[in-house]
Amino acid sequence: MEKRRTAVMAAWVAIALGLVTATAGCESGGADEGGGGDSVAFDSNVSGALSAWAFDNADDVGQARIDYAAKQLSGVSIKMDQTGFDAQKFTTRLASGDVPDIVQMDREYVPTYAAQGLILPLEKCFSANNVDPEQRWYPNVVGDVTYKGQVWAVPQFYQPPAILLNTTVMDAAGVKPEDIDTSQPDVLLGAVQKMYKANGGVPTVLGFNPSATGQTYLWFISQGGKLVGDNGAPTLDDPSNVYPLETLKKIVDAQGGFAKYKSFTDSFDTFGDNNQFVKNQVGAEVDAQWYPNVLSPYKDKIKLGAVPFKGKDGQPVTVAYGGSFVIPAKAKNPSAACKWALALTEDGSWDAAATARAATIEKDKAINTGLFTGSPGPDKAIRDKYVKPSGNAGFDQVISTYYDVVATGKSAGASPAGQQLKQELTNAITSALLGQKTPQKALEDAQTATMSAYRSIAGS
Amino acid sequence: MEQLKARKYNRREAIAGYLFISPWILGFLIFTLGTMIYSLAISFSHFNLATNKMRPGGLDNYRALLEDPRVAGSLKNTLFFAVLAVPLEVVFALFLALLLNRVRWGAGFFRTVYYLPKMTPAVATASIFLLLLNGNTGAINTALRAVGLEGPQWLVDPSWVRPSIVLMALWGVSGTMVIFLAALKNVPRDLYEVASLDGASPVRQFFTITLPMISGAVFFNVIILTIAAFQVFDQAYLLFWRDQTNVAPEASLFYAVYLFQQAFRQFNFGFAAAMAWLLFVILLILTTIQVKIGNRYVYYEGDR
Repeated sequence: MEKRRTAVMAAWVAIALGLVTATAGCESGGADEGGGGDSVAFDSNVSGALSAWAFDNADDVGQARIDYAAKQLSGVSIKMDQTGFDAQKFTTRLASGDVPDIVQMDREYVPTYAAQGLILPLEKCFSANNVDPEQRWYPNVVGDVTYKGQVWAVPQFYQPPAILLNTTVMDAAGVKPEDIDTSQPDVLLGAVQKMYKANGGVPTVLGFNPSATGQTYLWFISQGGKLVGDNGAPTLDDPSNVYPLETLKKIVDAQGGFAKYKSFTDSFDTFGDNNQFVKNQVGAEVDAQWYPNVLSPYKDKIKLGAVPFKGKDGQPVTVAYGGSFVIPAKAKNPSAACKWALALTEDGSWDAAATARAATIEKDKAINTGLFTGSPGPDKAIRDKYVKPSGNAGFDQVISTYYDVVATGKSAGASPAGQQLKQELTNAITSALLGQKTPQKALEDAQTATMSAYRSIAGS
Repeated sequence: MEQLKARKYNRREAIAGYLFISPWILGFLIFTLGTMIYSLAISFSHFNLATNKMRPGGLDNYRALLEDPRVAGSLKNTLFFAVLAVPLEVVFALFLALLLNRVRWGAGFFRTVYYLPKMTPAVATASIFLLLLNGNTGAINTALRAVGLEGPQWLVDPSWVRPSIVLMALWGVSGTMVIFLAALKNVPRDLYEVASLDGASPVRQFFTITLPMISGAVFFNVIILTIAAFQVFDQAYLLFWRDQTNVAPEASLFYAVYLFQQAFRQFNFGFAAAMAWLLFVILLILTTIQVKIGNRYVYYEGDR
């Protein structure tokens, strides 16, 4: 009996191993190259069905653009999956071959999928529809989705960061807006010391919140650093990256050290009634352009101002990614996908969006802070048409500052290991600011890890 | 003739039985065994997602496991977590089960309340723990401060990252607690009555009656919790790795998190599959050791 059971088990193992060998062997010799997207043709005359994975929880702006684009593609039946992008879900769908025709994702992710041949380059999409990317979008926005000389996505939005000033805290400490100057760390540190308050070693007011891990790219690129080199290879150990990290460390160390600083900022009620500006928990803070929208309902409770973030050379600079639309290599209707994405990002779409937003603002009696579309033409048109003096001089100056800096944008670069790069850079910042590693060592370790990811994704 | 009839009846009964369990068998063959075999195949190959093709890779992926310091690092973090979490979870769950076993009034209510954490989605639990574990303003450190102790920076200080995940794991011990509670209910009352008559203290009764009588449940929970600890993912992922702007110290890089990153961020499916099989082998060895040791101490009623 025992012998028989052993024999049956041995047979099962043999079958399993046989299956393994057969499966591993099957399709052997298959090329390891990508999806061959260069051969796909794009046509401006579109029809059929379009399956889109985009517009998670579309707001008034999103809905107006969806409606506008649908009108431009009247012969196409559009089916949308309005859930947020999920790398695991996308990968699973790619593996099964059941892919949408178009996918909305952050620009940081685009080169990863481009390097694997999972999405299509869009030169032919642009030429079929007479669109010049350099004309339609800011150069840095196009730079975010340009990998190995090709543009891989239709970008949208560019919401630049700048420094919001809490005039209440600054006035009380005798700090002037010109003291919040990131190109002069000593001046900035002096202002920080005047405003910083702690109770028992725990911060209660930050002089300056540098958004150390949230505005990573801004800090490194603006302060002369270099994160991405040729062919998207990471360059985290470039000597130019040490200075930005050392500067960040000085700012954070002057405010209780990283652990206490981080725990304090984590406790902010960022989107609520008791946000850090209402509660006067910060004197100044690096924020993206959307944050004044969050603060606008509290305009009567806060005194706000803004200054540009300045680079090492003393000039205003901004660095940020944004959204984009990509077309998977296995898309069934790439022409419709291309036309739809371009319709969503053309002047008429943004005008429809701005009209919808203006109506919402009118209803809510809020302040119109403008829309930052990623395209210079619509940005200017919307500002001229909808952004009017609000009666709150501080807010108007904030809005004006963001509009003034939008053209100073720089791209952090496009790397196939973009996600890993961001994670490793954040790890490097954390370990350096915690004092576990020197900035140089932290960046070297981050480079080693990112390079490993780069090699496996880019295959070099 | 009678024998033939009986055999036919038995066969019909067997077929009916197999038909009844066939949904499970099919599910197991397709979604468990099938995928396991496929992942084993992938682990010996280089898999290209764009072309959906595999190239034979021999032992390349397994060799790469040995050369990647993060595999060993993440395994070390996971082992540390398991060694800390499993005993604490067993003790805490048993403590709660003992309390619930003693409750006479409103027992159903308390059982429901204590089971609620199990029903709470991990994302919601993580959101609460982000607040509870805040080093400056969190409830845990506020309570410690009230008794004159300065709590650690749970979510930032690398030395306290793993203990913070253990705390979150302790929150979800109610499943283990219910198994202990069921075992406690099965301990014959008369054993305690006799022990009381002999003058045994409650502590003595616990160690000489309760613990041996529920040793089967303890053994089962230790094995299940050990396997779960080695697969820890959601707590670490939600607290530290949910997006790239999180502060994610290396101490929070658990094996399953690294496996996920390799598969879905870097598309190293062969490497990730090899990692999964290495974990399978580690768990197989650990479980075998636990069974060997457990058999010496576990009391099986009616078995020996």
